[in-house]
Amino acid sequence: MRYIFKFPDIGEGLEEGKIIEWYVQKGQNISSGDPLVKMETDKVVTDIPSPKSGVIAVTYGGIGDTVKVGNALVEIDIEGVEGEAAQSVAADAPKAPSTEAIDEKGFGVVGTIEVAGDGAFLPAGDEGIASQKDLLTRKKALATPVARAMAKELGIDINQIPGSGPAGRVTKKDITENASKVRLNASPVSPQAIDPTKRYRYESLSTIRKTIAKNMLRSKQNAAHMSVMDEVEVSELVAARKRLNEALLDKDMRLSYLPFIIKAVARALKNHPVLNAELDLENERIIYKNYVNIGIAMDADEGLVVPVIRDADHKSLIQVARDLKDLIDRAKERKLTLEDLKDGSFSITSYGSIGGYFAVPVINYPQVAIFGVGRMTEKPIVKDSQIAVGNMLPISMSVDHRIVDGGEVARFLNEVLGYLRDPLLLLAFEGGNHGL
Amino acid sequence: MLDQNTLDKYNPIKNKAYQLIDDEGIPLSKTWQPELSDKQILKAYEDLLFERTADLMAVSYQRQGRMFTYPPNLGQEAIHIAAGMITREQDWLVPAFRELGAWLAKGVSLQEIFLYFKGNEDGSRFQKANRMLPVSVPIASQLVHASGIGYAMKYQGEKDTAVFAYVGDGGTSEGDFHEALNFAAVWDAPVIFIVQNNQFAISVPLKMQTRSINIAVKGIAYNIPSLLVDGNDFFAMHDALAYARKHAVSGKGPFLIEARTFRSGAHTTSDDPTKYRSKEEEEAWAQKDPLKRLKGYILHAGIASFDQEEELIAQFKKQIDQEFEAAEKHPEYKLDDVFAYMYAELPDELKRQKNAYENFLGGVK
Repeated sequence: MRYIFKFPDIGEGLEEGKIIEWYVQKGQNISSGDPLVKMETDKVVTDIPSPKSGVIAVTYGGIGDTVKVGNALVEIDIEGVEGEAAQSVAADAPKAPSTEAIDEKGFGVVGTIEVAGDGAFLPAGDEGIASQKDLLTRKKALATPVARAMAKELGIDINQIPGSGPAGRVTKKDITENASKVRLNASPVSPQAIDPTKRYRYESLSTIRKTIAKNMLRSKQNAAHMSVMDEVEVSELVAARKRLNEALLDKDMRLSYLPFIIKAVARALKNHPVLNAELDLENERIIYKNYVNIGIAMDADEGLVVPVIRDADHKSLIQVARDLKDLIDRAKERKLTLEDLKDGSFSITSYGSIGGYFAVPVINYPQVAIFGVGRMTEKPIVKDSQIAVGNMLPISMSVDHRIVDGGEVARFLNEVLGYLRDPLLLLAFEGGNHGL
Repeated sequence: MLDQNTLDKYNPIKNKAYQLIDDEGIPLSKTWQPELSDKQILKAYEDLLFERTADLMAVSYQRQGRMFTYPPNLGQEAIHIAAGMITREQDWLVPAFRELGAWLAKGVSLQEIFLYFKGNEDGSRFQKANRMLPVSVPIASQLVHASGIGYAMKYQGEKDTAVFAYVGDGGTSEGDFHEALNFAAVWDAPVIFIVQNNQFAISVPLKMQTRSINIAVKGIAYNIPSLLVDGNDFFAMHDALAYARKHAVSGKGPFLIEARTFRSGAHTTSDDPTKYRSKEEEEAWAQKDPLKRLKGYILHAGIASFDQEEELIAQFKKQIDQEFEAAEKHPEYKLDDVFAYMYAELPDELKRQKNAYENFLGGVK
């Protein structure tokens, strides 16, 4: 006789376990109580012993595989117990013996907890599987209060649902699957509510979404976020950009504001190295980076990507603009390589190009700072005691307060905003070694 | 046999555990002789071996998915076997949940124990064990019952009756423990409080559980004679319990024993002790294993040679399997039983619940 041993719930409410080690293989003789497999679960790592003596016919799953509670782990051929086993089945389930020749009892006393869930356990007690015909003719369905509440909410008569659970118990799954067939006619419930399959749509996470989720959480859990916001009047920058773009007309090149911002930030980082650093808590030290690689947050179709402009402090404005365009183009074509994405030392997010004035950007951990650029707007400002129209650029910056203090951020921002207010200053410091 | 002098010598304040044999089972004093006959000692060993075998098999059944949960007794058996020998037919046993050998000695069948951990109420309907309360899952709540029973026995004039009440080290942090001790002391109730200090309240080590130097000193506060005992030393436990019972039934009131031991298994089958204790700690305590020590004594004293131990274990296993299979064939308990025993007349709310559940079950019939 073939006995199927299914992974039992060994921890009061487990859903699955991972195979760590197999102790048996096909064809091997085992005695009841012998360890079959080592499983890792949410609660414990433990050996699962065999409930039967016999010969291993099949093992399910390899090392590292996840097995759901209630799914088969091994099949065991039990010799010479045909009669005895048949007897015990009859004694255990006299009302509705299983139509299969397989002895399916015994894989989980634990599984008979009265939760009509997806586990779909067979009972080990005196309950059997009733045929669907029986179930349809009976008057009152057997179901848990949870399933009843679900049916009621959906406006479904639970007594019309064929149950697939223990003793024909109607499970939540049964209700979901049969909802469209068995609906109360005079239901006041909206169509969306009636068909539960239309209430939600499920989509597996893409690799990039999983990475983003992991990185964002890691940043929020590890860095002590602190944010500062300010705005700067950039009429000079607007004018400078306009003149430069006119000069570059025949070079097939058009500057956005972002290259100016990248240059301003890269320049200021040289004077505020702690913002271009990393906290190495394990070794109780700060790692200062002797390069300025600026990551630019981009809103690609598949999600956020942050490619890097390398050595932005050593590149000319035009070169930075070229690199930026190249990265944007390749991000759109999904042609960014791992090389483009690594080794950033500081990040800039220009969310304002889409919308938004101020934000609290999430640090691109393990970096310690991120600079955010909002939407530039014409605003009334007070200039020389007169109301005038200013080109206001809002900025938001988040730092890891574990190593960057407020004063340092303010000084850094003063410098960056100074370059944006008067871009000529950037020119003064162009070329690196200026002794200032 | 213990006497007042020994009790003074082992005043809990001194934090020295009463011990008669060493880690290898060799008597600490050359003049010491056990109060028990060779036959009794051998029987105790076999009972201990049986408890251990049944306990390990119970964990295995649970891992096979054939039992909901189980709290392993591994490493604490000497306490249970010694207590089982001292507890008399007329005495009360008020369990916590980790005293397998003591229950068996009281007359509970393995089948009943398996039924209980399979979630069947019939497991608490002891056929042969008189004067034993069901397992108490709410920690330390059983001790107040024990003190009440002790007082009742005294009130009813049952002079040769004691109450054996069990709790773990974690339970001594509960208010119930202190209420029970105080009440029993004030009313001279014949209760023997047995604290199985197995070092962990699930995962919380004793050091984080109390500032007291040990648990026995807590008894002193209530003026209860208290003794710290090596719980893995069968002879010390037997001696202490015999004295405690004599004390309790002589009208002198309660007695407290802190049995210092180690839970070698998990708290329950849902627990993984590797997450909160070290291998070194486990290995150090394995040297003090109660089975190993009692066996060491028996070999040292030349009482038996253990030639046929494997056959004995095989025979135990067969018997335990039979008990378990019987538990598996046991019918589900009746709905009426859930409601039947608490009230002479069922309150309206319970009537409503019973009715609702009967309607719910209507679908099966």
